Amino acid sequence: MKCLLIASESAEMLFYWTDLEFQQNIQKQYGASQEEGHGFPAFEDSISTLFAPIIISFSTMVTEADSYTSFTTENNHIYVLHQFDECLYIAVNGDGEEKEEDLRRKIYVMNKMIEVLFGMVTLSGNLLRKELRARDTEQRLRLWKHLQSLLETYSHLRENDQSFLVEAVERLIHPTLCEQCIEFLERRLVQQINSSVERGGEEVLHAFILVHTKLLAFYSSRNASILSTSDLLALIIMAQNMYPSNVDVDDPSPEVQSGDSLSNSTDSIFYTPEPSPTDKDSKKPVRGSTPVFEFVDPDIQMAEDSLSTLEVYPPDPATPHKVFLEVSQKDGLYPMMPHSMYCLKLWPGITLVLLTKFPHSGVAMSVYTFWEAFAKLEKRLNEGQGGSTRGQPMHEVRSKLDKFLKTLALNGIQSSQLQNVWTEFKNRAFSRGGPGFSRDLIPWCKNMKTQLCGIYRQCFLSDSGPDDTPRRLSPGLRERAQTMVQEQLMDWKDFLLVKSKRNITMVSYPLSDFPGLVHFICVDRSSGQMIAPSLSITERTTSELGKGPVAQYIKNKMWSLVSTTRHYLQKGYSTLTLRDGDFYFCYFLWFENETGFKLEAKDIPIMPDDSAPIGMLAQNYYRKLLRYYSKNHPGETVKCYELLTVHLGVIPTEIILQHCRQLASKLWEPSRNPLL
Amino acid sequence: MAELLQPDSRMCNYFFLYDGSKVRGEADPTRDGICYFFPEETPLDKQELLCGQLAGVGRCVSELSSSPARTLRLRRNKFAIRMKDDFFWALGCSVDVPTVSVSEFLDQLIDLFCFYNGPVRQSYQLNSQETLAAQWARYLSHLQSGSSELSHIFSCLKTIDSTNVDPLLLLKAALILQACQRCPLVLAGCILFRGRVVSTQMSPGLTMKVMVHESETYTKAQRPNGTSASSSFSGTVSSTTVFLTAPELQDLQSAPVDKGFSSDILKPSSCPTTPQRDGPSKKTRLSRTLSDTPSTESQVSNPSLSKPPQKASLSPRLSDSDVFSPALSHSAANSLNPSPQSLRFLSNGENTVEDEVEESRSRDSTGGRSQIRSEGDGSVFEEDSHLNGGEGEGAFGGVFEFQAVESGNEQPHDDKVVEEDSRVSRGSVSGHKAGKSDPPPLLPPPHRLSDASEENALIPMTLYMHRVKGLVLALLVEPHFMSDATSMEEVYHSSLASLNGLEAHLRTISPGAPGGPGPYTFAHFDCIQSTLTTNLSGRSGGAWDQPFVRATSLLHSHFCNTETLQEAIIRNASTAVYGTRSVAQETYFQQNGGSLRNSGIPNHQDSAFSLPSKARHRLLKHGVNLL
Repeated sequence: MKCLLIASESAEMLFYWTDLEFQQNIQKQYGASQEEGHGFPAFEDSISTLFAPIIISFSTMVTEADSYTSFTTENNHIYVLHQFDECLYIAVNGDGEEKEEDLRRKIYVMNKMIEVLFGMVTLSGNLLRKELRARDTEQRLRLWKHLQSLLETYSHLRENDQSFLVEAVERLIHPTLCEQCIEFLERRLVQQINSSVERGGEEVLHAFILVHTKLLAFYSSRNASILSTSDLLALIIMAQNMYPSNVDVDDPSPEVQSGDSLSNSTDSIFYTPEPSPTDKDSKKPVRGSTPVFEFVDPDIQMAEDSLSTLEVYPPDPATPHKVFLEVSQKDGLYPMMPHSMYCLKLWPGITLVLLTKFPHSGVAMSVYTFWEAFAKLEKRLNEGQGGSTRGQPMHEVRSKLDKFLKTLALNGIQSSQLQNVWTEFKNRAFSRGGPGFSRDLIPWCKNMKTQLCGIYRQCFLSDSGPDDTPRRLSPGLRERAQTMVQEQLMDWKDFLLVKSKRNITMVSYPLSDFPGLVHFICVDRSSGQMIAPSLSITERTTSELGKGPVAQYIKNKMWSLVSTTRHYLQKGYSTLTLRDGDFYFCYFLWFENETGFKLEAKDIPIMPDDSAPIGMLAQNYYRKLLRYYSKNHPGETVKCYELLTVHLGVIPTEIILQHCRQLASKLWEPSRNPLL
Repeated sequence: MAELLQPDSRMCNYFFLYDGSKVRGEADPTRDGICYFFPEETPLDKQELLCGQLAGVGRCVSELSSSPARTLRLRRNKFAIRMKDDFFWALGCSVDVPTVSVSEFLDQLIDLFCFYNGPVRQSYQLNSQETLAAQWARYLSHLQSGSSELSHIFSCLKTIDSTNVDPLLLLKAALILQACQRCPLVLAGCILFRGRVVSTQMSPGLTMKVMVHESETYTKAQRPNGTSASSSFSGTVSSTTVFLTAPELQDLQSAPVDKGFSSDILKPSSCPTTPQRDGPSKKTRLSRTLSDTPSTESQVSNPSLSKPPQKASLSPRLSDSDVFSPALSHSAANSLNPSPQSLRFLSNGENTVEDEVEESRSRDSTGGRSQIRSEGDGSVFEEDSHLNGGEGEGAFGGVFEFQAVESGNEQPHDDKVVEEDSRVSRGSVSGHKAGKSDPPPLLPPPHRLSDASEENALIPMTLYMHRVKGLVLALLVEPHFMSDATSMEEVYHSSLASLNGLEAHLRTISPGAPGGPGPYTFAHFDCIQSTLTTNLSGRSGGAWDQPFVRATSLLHSHFCNTETLQEAIIRNASTAVYGTRSVAQETYFQQNGGSLRNSGIPNHQDSAFSLPSKARHRLLKHGVNLL
């Protein structure tokens, strides 16, 4: 019984997702209260009616400077509420599968995905509302369905993929191949695309190859800024959503791991449902041809059920997605800068992702700079400091914005509204007789911010840009890129698909070195990467943990351990050991400098229960933690590591701690790592 | 408002009771529904806002989830919620207090109120809002009085420091209580000294409730009603009516000491029809010793049959009654499928039957019981008693249970109710009912059966208190004990001398000097007896206290939520705390002093990992055995 919805302050439904059970529950309730009515009302109406009192009460309490964060009921239903700007997110769980923390994380991830899809438009509640709740029903349903499926993909990954459990990227561990691929991406692929005339003004900044959710190779061009872990994880979700690979099921049987037979059989083994629901009819025979495995992701199936009444045609998967990613430049951090994302399927399970820069992305930076200036001014005015500063920085903004408006006009961007508001603002702020920088200016700051977001929307979100030339890599170029990489990886693909399942196995850890060690996860938080033995727990595959219930039990324990450690970390505890049932769990977080010297521990901040979830996907906690810690280590690169281990409870604690120590020191040093 | 008071001195920022039945129409102002609001000086606007919003959201959530809301959390306060009938309780605390503790606190508060005042709806019909407001305030302040931060986490009994007291004195106290129980009308008792428990025969929960009255009489505050001081005992004896829940009463009656004895004396003449006379359990009870427990336990399960199924599952005695599983399921079946004729009988003449019940009860409690049976004419009663072989109390409890179900079935949707899970339906259905159709109060307490949805099945008893300076003997007695001069005198005189002696001894014991910050801090919570042993220096809040309390609070929540968790060490740069628990206890230990040096990386020389062995050794001298 799960649900997530987004509502505006006026209780307008901006988005919802429910599973079937929740939907039935709502319909039952609504039916009960409307017994006289004829048939069920539209589901959207019922859900918004039922939640309206909560949403309205939330707004009332906000005006009293306090707001709801969560509810629980006696039958253990959990409601989590969080407001981002003017949008209220509510997540509900009634089946005990998610805890409060999970729901809060889901809300933040949903918000992150919306930021990636809509960029700065999310900074204006009004504009975002229009985007999420488009007047055109078909457009709205298409968008909602896309968001619903993203959410389901995320939930599926979070529940099954260790890298989404700890929110760090997992690399395929094969140094030679990785190196080859990076070199290939750099020397051949990216260079060729960027020098082609068919690139439509775009420029490839990042290129990477994913095997399921694991990263095989990642290349960034020289003038690109670093792609943050948060954005990379979000892009992996999008890629997975486009080409879902059910990691748990599609494991090639060992007997076909080598030999030519594999290349013939993989196509049928790795049947992946097309994301397009339009071929529903054609799907059935295909499914029938792979009798052993049910490859349709249950989540996807559910999404189709819950919106089964709709016949929505999603856009061609080959068209690029507009994504808004963080860009760090010398002069500062620019969140949500426009990029195009090309997701090219090489084989089922293996994807090439290209991220390109828009030709006019400079506009986005300017818009953001101005927006930030007005936001800061608004904050100062709210705090009552307007009078003292006399808006000194605003004089600089004034001349720059005047120039910017002229540039916009030259590029044919509609900016008359911004122009009008800006003129009015100037009259009030700068004219001698005017009110100057007082609180009266606050609504005008808000208005300016909205107008700037409007410009941003016009440039980067509306289908027709400032000029009507299609700005994207030509289909031919895309096809060539795809073929190039396919040729390069042809001999490796089967190996890669197997490797992605058995990236590291516990077998590689000699029993004599680590007796009693059941599982571990090690995360480098500075680079956002993780290493962990594979945990595949399907019926067919026998991992070292065995099959079925035992493996499932360990997996559940691991998942709950991660959530426990986060809870303690939130409360400032960086080391934790637990004796739970027959197992002994350890968690350590520590800092090192670049040379591997262990740095002194420092008390880490204590945060309230309703603070952003700890992780890297949404609201990067570790980045803040590193910044906080680095204050005492100026000029030094500080690295942050985490280690989680599960041991059998019978092992003496001293031995367990020795193992942890060995793992911590060995894992990131390829020369000494038995796995690398 | 709330900010004026020390944040750590008390747990509760807000507490209110809101009666939704008073605010039905659009025009009804919210303030009509506010029965009590703490802090009382809160402006009415703010009161209305909180009550209106929280009650509204609570109802909305409980409709969406088909279950009453339990907590509503805000950024600055967390509210434990109880919804019952049309009443809505909310207790708001700082967000740092563990949720389990807040919920427990609220339950305690409501239980306390019901213990002294009976069912809530009825109390509000019989008494003025102001009178009851004073009661709520009293219980609230009692529960928070002198509480350290640790007691926000563990709801524990205050006991005398047993390490300072000669064990013989404790034995003596126990003997006094046993002696009192020789009187068949005495159920159980406890001895308190200056607000601390010396010895008790009751469950921790019940002892806690009794202590409120003790502190009350100790401070000589006036109780508005129900208290009567017997002048014949030179003003040192007082009594008040209290209300026990069915499980509480069963627990008392199951006490292995001499209960059979009391019923033997009491019942032969008045309960001639009780089938228990020939029951199989009788045979095993020829000799009566403390080792007799098993047979008494099996007797216990008789009353447990009469409890509603969900009570049984909550009761610690579940395992005992499991033995009787066929009977148990039978009673569940009874409660879910009452026979049609009993339904009719109830809906026709509910009030009159009740009146008769009340009357007969007040005439003579034991005689009344058999009378109920004959009047009841419902086959359910007969079946119950046959099956149970239940003694008087068992059958009596059965009446309440039966009534509870019937009151549920008055609803138009009765068939639906029966089908549904009784746990959900029972509470909510009777909730509606109590709001709409509760007749005006016809009789004074003891007890209105129409309110008797199972939790309201409160049985009136009398709390007898005999004070000797700082020492108090508190006994739960049958209501007619106070009118039974012989019994009273017997109890009074048999205990007087011993009490005087005990008081004299206890008075001379100086309270242990509060130790300064030692090399370690610990807290040991006995979950069975609800007692806390700690060397934490109370409220002063030493440098090591704050982190210790914080860690303890986190670990305690974790232990509560994860059954399989046995021990944990948590550590940050400056402190490390070790927590361990078993079924019966939780222990927390922190080594003080700056010997923690570590970079956070796994290191077996880290002193944090030596905490378990240190705790084991150090705590032995405090009587805590972790081995």
